[in-house]
Amino acid sequence: MNALMPVLASLNGLAAGVFLLSAFGLLATRQMQGCVRFFRLQSLALVASIALIAVGLRVPDLLAVALLDLAIKPLLIPWLLRRYVREELFRRREIDQVLNIPSSLLIALALTIIAYFVAVILPPAAGLMGAINVPIGLAGLLLGAFTLAVRREAVPQLIGIFAIENGSLFAGIAIAPRLPLVAEMVFPFDMLIIALVIGILTRITQERVGTTEVGALRSLREGGAE
Amino acid sequence: MARSIGFNLLQVLFVVALAPLVSGVLARLKEVVQSRRGPSIFQPYRDLRKFFSKDEIVSEQASWIFRVTPYVVFVAPIFVTTLIPVLTSYPLFFAFMGDMLGGGFVLALGGFFATLAAVDTANPYGPMGASRTRMVGFLAEPVFMIVFFTVSFIAGSTIPYIVQEHWITLSEFFAPSHVLLVIAFVMLILAEAGRIPVDNPTGHFELAMIDESKSLEYSGTGMALMKWGGYMKLLVLMCILLNVLVSPWGLAQRQSVGDVLLAVPLVLFKIGLFVLVLVVIESSLSKLRLFRVSEFLGAAFVTSVVAMITGLLRF
Amino acid sequence: MTLFVILALPLVAALVSWLPMGRRVAPSATFLAAVGAVVLSGRAALTVAAGGQVIGVAEWLELDGLGALVLLLVAIVATTAALFSVGYVAREEDSRHLRRYYSNYNLFVFATLAVPMLVEPALVWTAVELTTIFGIYLVAFDNTPEAVEAAWKYSILTIMGGAMALLGFIVLFRATRFGDAPFTWAGLIKLAPRVPSGVLEASFLLILVGFGAKVGLVPLHTWLPDAHSQAPSPVCALLSGVKTTVVLCVILRMLPVLNASGRVDVDRWAVVVGLISVGIAAFLILQVTDYKRLFAFSTVEHMGIILTAAGLGGAAAHYGAVYQIVNHSLTKSFCFFAAGTTLLAVDTRQIADIRGLIRTSPVAGTALLFGGIAIAGAPPLAVFLSEFSILRSGIAGQHYVAVGLLAAFIVVAFFGILHHLNRMTFGRPEPAMDGGVPVKLPLSSILTLIIAAAPILILGVYMPAPLHRLLKMAAEGLAK
Repeated sequence: MNALMPVLASLNGLAAGVFLLSAFGLLATRQMQGCVRFFRLQSLALVASIALIAVGLRVPDLLAVALLDLAIKPLLIPWLLRRYVREELFRRREIDQVLNIPSSLLIALALTIIAYFVAVILPPAAGLMGAINVPIGLAGLLLGAFTLAVRREAVPQLIGIFAIENGSLFAGIAIAPRLPLVAEMVFPFDMLIIALVIGILTRITQERVGTTEVGALRSLREGGAE
Repeated sequence: MARSIGFNLLQVLFVVALAPLVSGVLARLKEVVQSRRGPSIFQPYRDLRKFFSKDEIVSEQASWIFRVTPYVVFVAPIFVTTLIPVLTSYPLFFAFMGDMLGGGFVLALGGFFATLAAVDTANPYGPMGASRTRMVGFLAEPVFMIVFFTVSFIAGSTIPYIVQEHWITLSEFFAPSHVLLVIAFVMLILAEAGRIPVDNPTGHFELAMIDESKSLEYSGTGMALMKWGGYMKLLVLMCILLNVLVSPWGLAQRQSVGDVLLAVPLVLFKIGLFVLVLVVIESSLSKLRLFRVSEFLGAAFVTSVVAMITGLLRF
Repeated sequence: MTLFVILALPLVAALVSWLPMGRRVAPSATFLAAVGAVVLSGRAALTVAAGGQVIGVAEWLELDGLGALVLLLVAIVATTAALFSVGYVAREEDSRHLRRYYSNYNLFVFATLAVPMLVEPALVWTAVELTTIFGIYLVAFDNTPEAVEAAWKYSILTIMGGAMALLGFIVLFRATRFGDAPFTWAGLIKLAPRVPSGVLEASFLLILVGFGAKVGLVPLHTWLPDAHSQAPSPVCALLSGVKTTVVLCVILRMLPVLNASGRVDVDRWAVVVGLISVGIAAFLILQVTDYKRLFAFSTVEHMGIILTAAGLGGAAAHYGAVYQIVNHSLTKSFCFFAAGTTLLAVDTRQIADIRGLIRTSPVAGTALLFGGIAIAGAPPLAVFLSEFSILRSGIAGQHYVAVGLLAAFIVVAFFGILHHLNRMTFGRPEPAMDGGVPVKLPLSSILTLIIAAAPILILGVYMPAPLHRLLKMAAEGLAK
């Protein structure tokens, strides 16, 4: 095995810590820009972990995936969002949300603990190297879903979806590091398309509905507004 | 044994003498970063000398608490200094007198007396600042507890000297729990020492003061002791962070006088690096609104609990 | 080869529709492509039913019984919906918008046709995500604030489901480490006995929750009534009739894999989740105010019925499940065509605003009534036969509680649907027509209604032999 394994494993642990922290940051930030920044940080942590596992397990395919992810997630997607979602949305500082921040942070903590206990079922294929990826990836997934539920604005909801995919991938690379290259390449492109489409949808929403507070849209309920 | 007591006294002297210097350097660097000249780094010494030479005026409404508090605030950090590794990595004479929790409580004792004294004088701004200090303090308590608990659990002991040996290997150093603990403790230092983003240490606006309000009513010797105690508290917290939590680099490994004296500049260097980090943090953030402080400390709490989870639930 | 052509046809039509060549070209190209797809899939289905093999790329594009059946269904509904679109969407004045509709329509059909053909799970996930993404524009086509809100909810919830299912598929890939079979559905069934049950359970749970959101299983169904009511009717027919079905089939394909491992009691979960969806949908049907939402909730109900039937186990129940799939797709698409015709006739979606539809517009009224009766499960129409066979097989398998609940919920839904439709269809005509002149319905709509009604009537009384063979093969595919 690789002589550098312990160092790589601990650096991977560092990446995992940053990943989880940025997932919490997504919940704790009040600004739209903050959301995008934490997403960037999370994607960088993901790319770092992929690269470390690629080097540690000697799977060169994964390096290509890491590069692709690096190009798309921290760089292209925020750029796309800036381009398609109108500038004024980004200038808005306060994001409306269903729960206040300390309560949502506490619930997020509970979700992380749950993820840790659930993760025992899934033994990682990457052995010691990826042992920490599975629970933290699952936690990232749950926290992304929670962010989605708690935020009322369009762009943070979208970032919540991306956080879910980041979490899935983060756990996935440890569970199946030798997934066929074809499949691995598809995932970041999929996120790119989603960003594009939802960026456009957000703009249309802004134009048609007048606001992107999508959580407040209730006109289609049975007993709701006309 | 005598040597060990001697080293202990040397540590205390180090903290007492150099605390104002550290604060002076911090203040100067903050000004330099903002393209100003800033005060000399020895300014705190001059301030202390000035205060010691002035008369003391005490309100008639004040009780014995008011008179005693400056001494308590001055002594508490000194007491904690004997418990933590400042210059040496091996336990010294008083090391087993109390562990980290004990040290935390002693520091809190100083804060407790300061709060009482602020309420004692019937100055309207005193209690306002005191209640805010208490709020920050009580929100920071869980973070303290969790950080100490996690560190003790991982290292297997609650004595600071034994804990700091744990982070020597590279893999332990980069472990996610370690990094997160350090981040949580830095946030804690910002809260406890009253720095931006929790409080503005250079502000003079009484309505917005949190930590500075404890020394509003003091003058002369009392003021000098309160200020010196404040500088020492900051230095002690930094030493706990750097020597116990981050890494034992620079501490004297052997029992000789030369080694210990060599440790002085090395530890100062480590502290200098952290001062730089502090300056960056303070210059790039703005003071939080009061009710946002709970979110800030909530984030610190969550960080520390995550550190606990990743540290304890290992596979 | 056939499979490639089937996929290529809608792609070509998409390209043709996108080019600015006049308003007539796009609808015709779409319709022709769909007809071509039907013919080819019909032939492929006959080949499979006769025992032959249809392979595009080994281990990636293959047709088995279930796949051939669903492929044929998708093609049929795509054709009828394309025909209906001709008249329905022609109201749209902006030709660029019109052409974008058709090109998106074709891309959506392309992705939906791909899902039953693919046997490599990672590619299946990709195709399902593509159907979701291409559907977004179609849902928001009307460009009203409600339509945009519906599209937003749809995209967020379904993409979130896809992201969760992603992890499920990655975990599923883990199974290939335990043996020597390729990463296809058939390969997974072979590997299953050796895979630790935790891996299979976890992946099934993630896929059930993730893709369940796309299918509309409770509690992640909240987007479905909104999207399926605000989208244009032919799109609703596609979404309700085939898209949910296609994704449900992906979930169903996991069942034999888990059963083969022998250690996981997945059938019980399937029954429970299915029954919850049926129950909640049935009760929600009682309080709808919009007739398209009525049909959308009915879709949720039927998805639950199919899942329950698959979970009940046994050859007869599986046969009932696939039979229900066929009947539901055909009937539900007809219902939405009827709803679309009604919308053209009276221009409102609210049930409370419509009375005496049968007098206002005989075509719309009859169609709506017929569709409602058909989907509620009245004899002698198709859905009744399939539901009856499910209930009968359940009783034979001694699952009395499940069958009892299922029957009760179906009855509740039956009552609900008929109550609403009754109010709408009979009575004094309302809203009053301006000048008493009925709205002229486009010829294509009437034609579609007739064409789509035919299978419902026929399948209620007669089962053609090739179809019967295909259904049996599909049921076997679920049972291993």
